[in-house]
Amino acid sequence: MNTYPKVPVTILTGFLGSGKTTLLNRILSEEHGKRIAVIENEYGEVGIDQALVIDADEEIFEMSNGCICCTVRGDLIRVLGNLMKRRDKFDYVLVETTGLADPGPVAQTFFMDDEIREEFSLDGIVTLVDAAHIEQQLGRSDESTEQIAFADILVLNKTDLVNDEALDGLEVRLRDMNRMAQVVRSERANLPVGAVLNLGAFNLDQALERRPTFLEPEYPFEWTGVYALEPGRYELSLAEGPDPAMSLVVVSDQGVEDAALREGAEWCVRRYAEPAELVRPGEKMAAGKHVSLQLDSPGRKSFFLEMDAKARIGLYAQHTAEEFDLQLINAKGAAIRPEVERTWVAQHEHDDEVGSIAIEREGDIDPERFNAWLSELLRERGVDIFRMKGFISLAGESRRFVFQGVHMLFDGQPDRPWGDTPRRNQLVFIGRNLDEESMRRGFEACLM
Amino acid sequence: MSTGRSQGILRRGWSAAVGDYAIAGGWARGGDALIVGDAAGGVYAFEGKSGAKAWAQERVHDGGVLALAIHPGGAMFATAGQDGRILIWNAAEGQPNHAIDLASGWVDNVAWSPNGQWLAASCSRQVRVYGVDGAEAWRSGDHPSTVSAIAWAGAGELATACYGRVAFFEVPAGKLRQKLEWKGSLVSMALSPDGDIVACGSQDNSVHFWRRSTEEDSMMSGYPGKPSALAFDAAGTLLATGGGSAVTVWSFQGGGPEGTRPGVLEFHARTVTTLAFARRATRLASGGRDGAVVVWSMQSDGEGDPIGAAVVADVVAELHWRPDGRALAALDAQGGVTAWRIA
Repeated sequence: MNTYPKVPVTILTGFLGSGKTTLLNRILSEEHGKRIAVIENEYGEVGIDQALVIDADEEIFEMSNGCICCTVRGDLIRVLGNLMKRRDKFDYVLVETTGLADPGPVAQTFFMDDEIREEFSLDGIVTLVDAAHIEQQLGRSDESTEQIAFADILVLNKTDLVNDEALDGLEVRLRDMNRMAQVVRSERANLPVGAVLNLGAFNLDQALERRPTFLEPEYPFEWTGVYALEPGRYELSLAEGPDPAMSLVVVSDQGVEDAALREGAEWCVRRYAEPAELVRPGEKMAAGKHVSLQLDSPGRKSFFLEMDAKARIGLYAQHTAEEFDLQLINAKGAAIRPEVERTWVAQHEHDDEVGSIAIEREGDIDPERFNAWLSELLRERGVDIFRMKGFISLAGESRRFVFQGVHMLFDGQPDRPWGDTPRRNQLVFIGRNLDEESMRRGFEACLM
Repeated sequence: MSTGRSQGILRRGWSAAVGDYAIAGGWARGGDALIVGDAAGGVYAFEGKSGAKAWAQERVHDGGVLALAIHPGGAMFATAGQDGRILIWNAAEGQPNHAIDLASGWVDNVAWSPNGQWLAASCSRQVRVYGVDGAEAWRSGDHPSTVSAIAWAGAGELATACYGRVAFFEVPAGKLRQKLEWKGSLVSMALSPDGDIVACGSQDNSVHFWRRSTEEDSMMSGYPGKPSALAFDAAGTLLATGGGSAVTVWSFQGGGPEGTRPGVLEFHARTVTTLAFARRATRLASGGRDGAVVVWSMQSDGEGDPIGAAVVADVVAELHWRPDGRALAALDAQGGVTAWRIA
């Protein structure tokens, strides 16, 4: 009996004009050595030799019980079932949905149909967002909201058409709606294949190995400024502001590109988690350390920074430069303008109906209470819960229990042993009008 | 287990191979030939007794064969594929006599009417009916979704299944005679030999059936998977269904199957993929994803005992009894074609 590995499937969603076809063409034309089959629901302009492109009409099949979770895509079942019979099997399948598609039935097909489950594994859902038009689309249609809610990767595309400030604001909004998704920016869907394929987003073990959390970070800083500095002594001057202290990390050798900023941010998240070194006005700040600038005395305050060599530095500040009128001044007394500035997602603002709820707690869970709580939650709110992921520490179980779900469909199993790692629980829900307080209380009642 | 190893009434016959996954086939020329179509688009004929290759035509359907149907007379057969093409062949010579090109789309099903006058084919949301010369006699309007199965209810009546309904059309007049509705995706269909009972496997892991005369319907649920394999016996008493690793057999004798317990035939280790009743004897053959082929001796209450078993190299795609019931052929996912004599 031959057992073939399951073929990974990536679902590509996004509104018309968001750049799905461009991304698809980029993936197909890159030298990746994969045999990719593409299933399209709208006639695109894909014409790459090594890929097989199949056009299929979107057919959404509901079941007799009327449950939204039993909705599957009949066209995918039919096409995928036939595709896998060929000996020259495909290494990868991309499903490009129409701009108005609900990603739910597509994702559910990979959970619901026994034959599809046997041959394919859903790798991830990639949603393209037209940075210039998404704000309008979000106001007008449920589909665009759902496409964002379901995503594992949100590609903020056409960034060249929007200014940086608007992009940062948009990213804040998207991250707020879906805290599970990674946000990547692109101009013309110019992403490396590795950014969207083989994510293992639905293989929780693999996903957790790559990143030990399902949550994209909420940064403990709001602002970054990158400055090109010559050797010498610099003064960081701050006016009185809303808080008596402000945390800061100075990153040496900071790049100005988006990727470099992100890398710096990830590094600073870890620095921020370390205890801060208090720095009083007139004192020197060390680079690469979490410092807390003491601002409780009246008037402007100065802190100092020594540069031994010419370098670019990044200031990752707890508050925006505006709030304290932050200025970096050189030895001649001239204020230096940052080369690049950017703001980060720092706090939730739940303006959208669709949002993310993250629960992180230490301690062990009573399996029966947890099962009862989750069953009731899914029964009552499953329609409004688009995705969920989590790992929990069940009392008496030496292994971590990982689970995920799409609407009411739930898939969970014990995974690796906890070993020396601290036992904890992390649950992320993305849904519509979820009551965070009651969910949090419900979960806490399951703790031993 | 080695390929072809067999026990019970299945006796070593012959084995052969086609170029890719053996999708569909059937016995032609009264059992003198076995015709097989594969996923690479090839069509092959093997001598019924020896398994020697009579002829082969490779890559006639670009993208692969999807369906194959032997004409009731046994001298002709039809193939259809992902190339949107239907071919009508002479079984002895291995040459297509007629080629029908549909505009685009996969041709998922072909079926000859019991009197051999018509060939029905489904492509996307349409069904079309042709004469033996390939001339189009009728074309349906668009169904609500892709037609998943077709079957002849009689010489001039065609049944079509799709999401939400089974419809009966008078052919070639095209009149819609009956519509049986059920909100579910119907993935397979079998009609009882008298045409009164329509059974459909549904995506929601159930079997739904209707009695046409009374329009009464029933649902049999509780299957672990979707019942893609269905077969009626020649008397119309037993309906064998897949939908899991067990074969579930419903008996229509007396007031059944409503309110009765089905026969549950357990042997396969993985999902049952295909079922076939022998024409004259109460013998049922089942094949599964485990590569096992089992022959069951059936009772009228749906219970049965395994009387023969064998294993092939991969998932069993189809099983075909020779018309005289003295041989059984299995097509598998690796392109293996295995025939056993029946003791």
